[in-house]
Amino acid sequence: MTSLVTARNVSKHFGDVRAVDDVSFEIEKGKIMGLIGPNGAGKTTLLKAVLGLTDCNGDLSVLGLDPFRQRKQMMQDICFIADVAVLPRWIRVYQLLEFVEATHPNFSRQRADELLKSTKIMSQSKVRELSKGMVTQLHLAIIMAIDAKLLVLDEPTLGLDIIFRKEFYANLLADYFDEERTILITTHQVEEIENLLTDIMFIDEGKILLEANMDSLPDSYTQLLTSGENVARARGFGPISESEMFGKTVMLFENISRENLEGLGELSTPAVADLFVAKVKGARS
Amino acid sequence: MDPKWSEDLPIYRQLRDRVVEMILEGVLGDGDALPSVRNVAAEYRLNPLTVLKGYQELVDEGLVEKKRGRGMFVNAGARKQLLKDERQRFLEKEWPAVLATIERLGLDAEQLTKEIKMPEETGGDDD
Repeated sequence: MTSLVTARNVSKHFGDVRAVDDVSFEIEKGKIMGLIGPNGAGKTTLLKAVLGLTDCNGDLSVLGLDPFRQRKQMMQDICFIADVAVLPRWIRVYQLLEFVEATHPNFSRQRADELLKSTKIMSQSKVRELSKGMVTQLHLAIIMAIDAKLLVLDEPTLGLDIIFRKEFYANLLADYFDEERTILITTHQVEEIENLLTDIMFIDEGKILLEANMDSLPDSYTQLLTSGENVARARGFGPISESEMFGKTVMLFENISRENLEGLGELSTPAVADLFVAKVKGARS
Repeated sequence: MDPKWSEDLPIYRQLRDRVVEMILEGVLGDGDALPSVRNVAAEYRLNPLTVLKGYQELVDEGLVEKKRGRGMFVNAGARKQLLKDERQRFLEKEWPAVLATIERLGLDAEQLTKEIKMPEETGGDDD
């Protein structure tokens, strides 16, 4: 497997604040990596470093290049949608397409036109006249018409209604993603994307709390629903979190084999959102 | 429509079960094409590898055949094979419990069959 992004001991400090604190990870080709973290966790700073928008300490390599020093060359093979809509409000749709066609070597105007045909976006419209959902559709159409190796999405569906959000990911999977492409995506709404990820990374207070392949989660993490005298016995195996629900106790275990927990209650694989909360709470206490 | 995935089974397994159900119900017949991996992935917002894994299970069970560049197709006799397996499973796993209940309640064959209309067409009964 070829590693598209490699980070070794990457840090970024703002004064005393360690926005990214000694972080190491890899993203391989053909993966969809989810970067999950609360506000202020360091997600955006880390993405900025990957995109060469900020300098950092440590070794960071993206597509075999130094993102900060070889940014121009690297960006020919990278696409990016920021959490803040950045399209100028005065521009008309066809002017925007002409601009990207003139400035980006890997952009296919024909492809963008095709993708826009399935939306209600008119080429004469100004960006300011489009709804928030339509601006995102326009942005996505432009991005999907660029033949890039790495697509970086920073909270791409923030503020969109559920219909647009679903459509966004459906389009991405139907018309863009294949084994030659790699996607790095950040979001708060884990539930919405957990089934399309191949890999997941939790970040909080600048540190990586978990980096795992989605397939391996059932081997490492177990949720137990238990009650009565089994609670104390289960506690003996050292759960990473414990909560009460309708008189039952829910516990999460890390690297405790299921054989040990068999017979103590109902076993299942925890949802990513629950696992995330447990890991963040555990790291902070 | 969004399917509700159960937490007890991996999603690829649930996908496999769904296709099996469709074959048993006759929605997918011999030689019919399965929906493409890309379409299923997009529709349910699943990673394409998950879909592929589910389909691979069906290939391994001999229910579905992969044709290079054209997709996945239901094998001839897939429904027959599934019916056989399902009947076997029912007789071994479920029937003993049902039988025990019948005996416990003291029901006899006449009472039981009175209410049932036996199906005229049983489908794939020639094994």
